[in-house]
Amino acid sequence: MVAPTKVGKWSLGVRTWLHYRAETFIIPAVALLASAAYFSVFLICLGKSPGEFFFLIARGGFGTLFSWQNTLVRAAPLILTALCVAIPARMGLVVIGGEGALVIAGFSAGAIAIPLDQSVAPMFITLAMGLTAVVVGACWIGLVGWMRHARGVNETISSLLLTYIAIAIVNFFIEGVLRNPADPNRPSTKAINPDAMVGAIPGLHVHWGLAAGVVLAVLLYLLMDRTTFGFAARIAGGNPRVAEAQGLSVGRLIVTGCFIGGACAGLAGFFEVAAVHGRANAALHANYGFTGILVSFLARHSPLAIIPVACLFGGIGAAGGLIQRRMELPDATVLLLQGVVFVTLLASETLYGRLPFFRATQDSHT
Amino acid sequence: MSDLWSALTLVLIALLGGIVRVSTPFLFVSLGECLTEKTGRINLGLEGTLVLGAMTGYAASYLTGSPWLGIGAAALTGMVFGAFHAILCQLPRVNDIAVGIALIQLGTGAAFFFGKPFIQPTAPHMPSIALGWWSSNPDLQNALLINPLFPMGIALAIFLRWAFRNTYWGLIVRTTGDSEPAARDLGVSVNGVRLAATSIGGLLAGIGGAFLSLSYPGSWNEGLSSGQGLMAVALVIFARWDPVHCFYAAVLFGAAGAIGPALQSVGVTQGYYFFNAAPYILTLLLMVASGRSKRAARDMPRELAITR
Amino acid sequence: MTVRTDQTDPGRAIGLDVSSVSKMFGSFVALKDVDLKVPAASFHAMLGENGAGKTTLVRCITGYYHPDHGKIAVDGHAVTIASPRDAHRFGIGMVHQSFTLVPSLTGAENLVIARTDRPLVFHWDSELKRMNEFLERMPFRAPLDVPVWTLSAGEKQKLQILRQLYLNQRFLILDEPTSVLTPDEAEELLGRLRDMTRAGELTICLITHKLREVRAFADEVTVLRRGEVVGVGRTADLTNADIAKLMVGDTPPPSRWTSRKPAQPAGHPAFEIRGLAADRDDGMAAFRDIQLAIQPGEIVGIAGVSGNGQSALLEALCGQRAVVSGEVWAHGERVPPTRAAFAKHRMFSLPEEPLKNAAVGRMTVAENLALRTFDRAPLAKGGWLSSAAMRRQAIGLIGRYRIKTPSPSAQIDTLSGGNIQRTVLARELSGNVGILIIANPCAGLDFTSTDAIHAEIMDQRNRGVAVLLVSEDLDEILELADRVVVMSGGRITYAASIADTDRATIGHYMAGEKTAEAAI
Repeated sequence: MVAPTKVGKWSLGVRTWLHYRAETFIIPAVALLASAAYFSVFLICLGKSPGEFFFLIARGGFGTLFSWQNTLVRAAPLILTALCVAIPARMGLVVIGGEGALVIAGFSAGAIAIPLDQSVAPMFITLAMGLTAVVVGACWIGLVGWMRHARGVNETISSLLLTYIAIAIVNFFIEGVLRNPADPNRPSTKAINPDAMVGAIPGLHVHWGLAAGVVLAVLLYLLMDRTTFGFAARIAGGNPRVAEAQGLSVGRLIVTGCFIGGACAGLAGFFEVAAVHGRANAALHANYGFTGILVSFLARHSPLAIIPVACLFGGIGAAGGLIQRRMELPDATVLLLQGVVFVTLLASETLYGRLPFFRATQDSHT
Repeated sequence: MSDLWSALTLVLIALLGGIVRVSTPFLFVSLGECLTEKTGRINLGLEGTLVLGAMTGYAASYLTGSPWLGIGAAALTGMVFGAFHAILCQLPRVNDIAVGIALIQLGTGAAFFFGKPFIQPTAPHMPSIALGWWSSNPDLQNALLINPLFPMGIALAIFLRWAFRNTYWGLIVRTTGDSEPAARDLGVSVNGVRLAATSIGGLLAGIGGAFLSLSYPGSWNEGLSSGQGLMAVALVIFARWDPVHCFYAAVLFGAAGAIGPALQSVGVTQGYYFFNAAPYILTLLLMVASGRSKRAARDMPRELAITR
Repeated sequence: MTVRTDQTDPGRAIGLDVSSVSKMFGSFVALKDVDLKVPAASFHAMLGENGAGKTTLVRCITGYYHPDHGKIAVDGHAVTIASPRDAHRFGIGMVHQSFTLVPSLTGAENLVIARTDRPLVFHWDSELKRMNEFLERMPFRAPLDVPVWTLSAGEKQKLQILRQLYLNQRFLILDEPTSVLTPDEAEELLGRLRDMTRAGELTICLITHKLREVRAFADEVTVLRRGEVVGVGRTADLTNADIAKLMVGDTPPPSRWTSRKPAQPAGHPAFEIRGLAADRDDGMAAFRDIQLAIQPGEIVGIAGVSGNGQSALLEALCGQRAVVSGEVWAHGERVPPTRAAFAKHRMFSLPEEPLKNAAVGRMTVAENLALRTFDRAPLAKGGWLSSAAMRRQAIGLIGRYRIKTPSPSAQIDTLSGGNIQRTVLARELSGNVGILIIANPCAGLDFTSTDAIHAEIMDQRNRGVAVLLVSEDLDEILELADRVVVMSGGRITYAASIADTDRATIGHYMAGEKTAEAAI
């Protein structure tokens, strides 16, 4: 069979693109619906109403302007921690240490604000905090990439171990040396100068972290899908042997990818401290990192798709309190729902390339 | 001077008891993971199995009044969870590392969800074996109160090593993990063997979890486990997939985890968090040290793909 | 049919009679009315190209497939072979081309797990005693007490055969057993097996494509083509030409390259390997002291059975393996394994197993075609990719090299093996090539594709490319190369120009030192 000699550039291109990409949209959507179904069955067994459950999620997450703001405040760090999973994933690594990077970077930001408080203008304090958080986060995950490249250490295990270590380090300082004596109930660092805090996007009662997340997601999409660096990274992620045979430096690509991912998670930590809490304390450890893992997987590690998926999970999280109160369900309900979604999503991976509907469309172009 | 000596002896005694206590869950989870990895599959979800086992064991013990039924319930839950992992990973194109992560979240979520009503009440805990009956020192007696699971774990480690060399199923497990074509050629169902091994691995992890909540003094709360399941996976690599070495490594990790509380018992409270972090740091260092090790490459079951 | 138990007296050879067996997969006819008659204690050869149906037939006999029609009889009794276990029970054993021994188990452990009566617990004393008694009666040995991964290919092959004999499988199917052996080892092994058939202890069905082996050892031949038997006869009655014609049919082979340009006078070598050495993953030496120079317009072939360091050498040359000492030079300067250096010296490679080593499965055909060119104009400008340019390049190459794909955006791992190979060829050979490194390019391909690829390689040579050809197929090297070099035990043990040497001499050097691992 001879390849087509005449190619209608527009029509063949777009149609092919649609047919090949349809699978990547539809299968995760199916997985989402399936997990909603499984969870509904579970709720019925408990004597609760699934209808009420999903209605409350819609209300509490997306019903009113107020709930949207709540959702978006949660979506902001989720976008960033999901990027921390997505970028290394495109390079073939499964890194789940976003939580640790967020915590230690956020803490570093809070810590650096303390000596600078009196001496420097508030704007520079913010800048210093941001820079510190990004650098610390980048190095934290960069370490994971380096250990994988130089010593063959499994990055999933090491990134999770580093998360526990990060939490321990931060707790050590927060409860010890850097503890704010003015706050006896809850261990935390000294509050940062209110003028140095990051404000809200005008019009929206959501801090600038959301804008940063969206912009970063778009930039990283362009980086991974439209630049030579991204192409090289995808080769390394798809088949490292081939990458080496082509003369690409797999180690450099891996570590760079981890630095980028860590920087994103660090930025999330920065905003949590500088825009939400105003200080570094145990509230940093709010599971954004872990939820971010699921967001990235559901978005199939595509930076653009992460934005809507992060909003979805931000909404579910925002509705958590409402569900707890109205339906008398424990706060772990959302955690359990996320677990069900994650497992169903991974099981749905097996459907790729096997559904006759998609196969037919792929073969129909001669 | 005698104060220093007595303080030192107290620390050592506390350490001894602490080692037995802290290493028991590591021992069970690592033996379970050793069996699973010997068949060529890695189960990262053991952390979730551990927590779920802890909750189920505690709940069952509370509801039935018998800690041994609690252990049984935890074992059963662990087995089902392990089987779930195996069935998912059997599907083509499913990534077993991602499945492990997802199961950590599912297991933890389920444990916290169903465990809410059991946080306050006290459930009957496992009886301990009093190995210190010969001493007049009450601290020593206390430290030598060993829970029965520890000796069971040692026996299990020895049994597993023997079984890997001398029984048909032991050789089949090693075959499946080392060469899938060879296993198929023998007519062995690779998926079946992995299902069985992962289920037993989950069962043992469930027991390890139940230990956390049912050993003296015993309680269930949401901070019970933090990474023991994960460290057990690293431990197995360090132990070169030999069950008896898993025991030694578990004792080592137990020591690392017991130093903090042992020092606390004599009033040394600084660096509490550092000692908390000690096991994780130890694990990380061990992984870095053995990562490019040539011997590790030789001893690893060839079907296991930890660094792809 | 009595159930055979293991390790009874020396054993009696059994005969197999396959009548009118057919097998279809959907609408594809894999086997049509195939007869195979192998009398007891005979040495039978089954020949055919890849895709002729040999594997399917053998799978039907060994119980992996169920024939749609036809009958199988063992020793005159009609039987149904429903599973590999049944086949074992009837005494039919198979030695596969790729080893099915478990690397970390010892030889003894490998023998013991294959037993059909499976005791739960083994008593090693009695087992070892029985095994040693068994070995006494065998014409060849293999070490039983060390892990199998330490054995050489020859020893592993012997162990596999011994395992079948230990289980009293008296009808043995051997699938290309000599592909990993030196000519001397192959000679010895087949010779001993033939002795056993003459003694009435064994029946052999040898699957091979090497006419020499058929000639030297087989009593009878069955030739398959496209799922049907096209010829049966005694080897004494058939000439090599007869057999070859049966295998490929009456279609004349495609025209070979007509001229091999005379070799250039020796000048500056285009490609040099200077004292290269590297280690294996487990720390042992893979190869040492490799010294080689290739002129432009010359093909240098590295002969040797697999496992003697060739794969590691290729990996080192392509930058996939760290080098312990030595250097690679091209066009008079040192070449580091970087992309810029490969591009500057126009170094391209065709590794074996293209899907694993030369293509990214999840990327599209167009992207795979762009692996060499994605970071240069016209595909890239200032770091930005142009997907339109990538697509244009892909469409051009797909047409030129006749790659069969539904679209340039199809994922490459959905293509057939041959088309993946063509994609890699298109990517590597379409540019201005200076140095070409090739490994086993025709493994698993049929005659026509093999010819086409050989023609391409010769074409590159005639255009002045310096070609390094690593191949386990000595015939391929004898046909294409100007000079040959033998690698054995991780070192170069022989070098000569093709005109000055012959197959026997090369084979003798290939035998060299016994174990690759022990040598260095």
